[in-house]
Amino acid sequence: MNLAVAEFESLRRRTLRRQRLRALAGLLIFSAVLLVSFQRSQFFSSDIGGDPLGRVADFLTRMIPDLKAEALVADSRTKGSLAWWFYDLPVWLKLGWQTVEMAIVATVLGAAGGLVASFLCARNLMPFPAVRFAVRRTLEAIRTLPDLILALILVAAFGVGPLAGVITLAISTVGGLGKLFAEINEEVDPRQLEAMEAAGVGPLSRIRYGVVPQVLPNYASYVLIRLEGNLAGAAALGIVGAGGIGLELQRAITYTEFDTYLAILLLIVCMIFVIDLTSEAIRHRLIGLAAAR
Amino acid sequence: MRDGAYHQAMAVAPRAMRPQGRLVQAGLVVAGLAAFIAMCADLNLAPDALFAGLDKLGRFAEGALPPSDGGDPLRIVKALAETFAMAFAGTVLAALAALPLGALGAKTVVGQPVLHFAFRRALDWFRGVPALVWALILVSAFGLGPFGGVIALALADIPSLAKLFSEAIENCDEKPIEGVRAAGVPPLMALRYGLAPQVTPVMASQCLFFLESNFRNAAVLGIVGAGGIGFELEERIRIFAFDEVLFIVGLYMLCVAALDTVSQRLRASLA
Repeated sequence: MNLAVAEFESLRRRTLRRQRLRALAGLLIFSAVLLVSFQRSQFFSSDIGGDPLGRVADFLTRMIPDLKAEALVADSRTKGSLAWWFYDLPVWLKLGWQTVEMAIVATVLGAAGGLVASFLCARNLMPFPAVRFAVRRTLEAIRTLPDLILALILVAAFGVGPLAGVITLAISTVGGLGKLFAEINEEVDPRQLEAMEAAGVGPLSRIRYGVVPQVLPNYASYVLIRLEGNLAGAAALGIVGAGGIGLELQRAITYTEFDTYLAILLLIVCMIFVIDLTSEAIRHRLIGLAAAR
Repeated sequence: MRDGAYHQAMAVAPRAMRPQGRLVQAGLVVAGLAAFIAMCADLNLAPDALFAGLDKLGRFAEGALPPSDGGDPLRIVKALAETFAMAFAGTVLAALAALPLGALGAKTVVGQPVLHFAFRRALDWFRGVPALVWALILVSAFGLGPFGGVIALALADIPSLAKLFSEAIENCDEKPIEGVRAAGVPPLMALRYGLAPQVTPVMASQCLFFLESNFRNAAVLGIVGAGGIGFELEERIRIFAFDEVLFIVGLYMLCVAALDTVSQRLRASLA
């Protein structure tokens, strides 16, 4: 009895010591990486000039437009009116709509590409492992590459304008949706497919009548989520010249029109908000439909 | 013959089987297609521009082979290290700031529904501002260099992490905390032994997720002047040195894959 207690106690002590050592080693590694990170990113050593917080505050105050209550609804030539703050609103709205169009077109193209890719790399639908492996690795590689870097290269090739942006977003959408679609495909109930195969239905018809009805609601909800992401992405891509509202954002910063920057930013946030709400409403309806079935 | 039974059956049949239902479906498809084509036309997505661009892209690809380190591989490795450093420092700062905010955002901590709602909506609002937008602001306030990038990454992560942290706190089991408290320990110890063991693994794994995504974002921040690998890449794309671009992109992708693998292992060992 005493022996068993002693044995238990020594085992407990050893386990505790091992756990503490591991925690200590983890803490040491973490601190070392953190130290090197702060040093490499010049966090404490950067010469950011005197009073950096004051400069951010200055920046923020310059972002607030100089609106005057008595002139709020006057035309754009009156200083202090809303129209004066949003002085280029028609151009921004046009570019904003262009951004929305870029997101939609890229999402449609990317979803189509992702659909093809997902069938090529789903374990239960693609019989050749070599093809599956190649497609999967390609999709992974696409997901690794940040959109903006791809956009930089494509802007160099396709010139400044929405074409480069649409291609960038479409490629990255293929990478993202291809993987998600493949996961949905692999969850498909195999019995319906087996029944069709037994009835001698060809592979394309099997996908059309056996897979598509099962996966469509899930697909649609992923596509809509991706559309929301692509809209934010499209707004950012303009910064490197790939079309859309981002271009104006970049221009406002370059010309130090910080109040204009805030105006465009508000516009973008509203745009994303509206699309998010719409897509959420559609998604909930789809989920409702799928549940009712 | 279309008798009463037919109409009765049609009334409960799926909409697609009804004649006008099929018409509506076909109309929707046609309208969608027309809208898509109109959008493409509005964006000037012309085939000749596409082919001209592809042609150029092909020439870039030719120029990119074989990849070259541009005679100074150390500089590229240093830039990669700087990008990782930005991501790591940004994630740690964000996690430190998100911890108290996350606690405040948890329904179980701040029970007042109006406060809870307002706090959550404020977080939602700030979550809409991406790191790139913060970086544009901070680089013009702090000047070129990675410092602005670190702060930008942290600022972009804080609202999302705070929300995830507060959800982790809300989802934890109350019983262990009550149990520890019943043993008569001070409240701080009840948090340490009742709450912390439940939420730390979840939070740590979320931080690792954000580290992965920040490594990708940090590469992008260089483009707006926040240093690191993005800056080096932009420079080389501007002078069409695609052999060096390929080298850098290849190396970067390897680093991303390596970081993802390490973080996946760590997350698996946490669970």
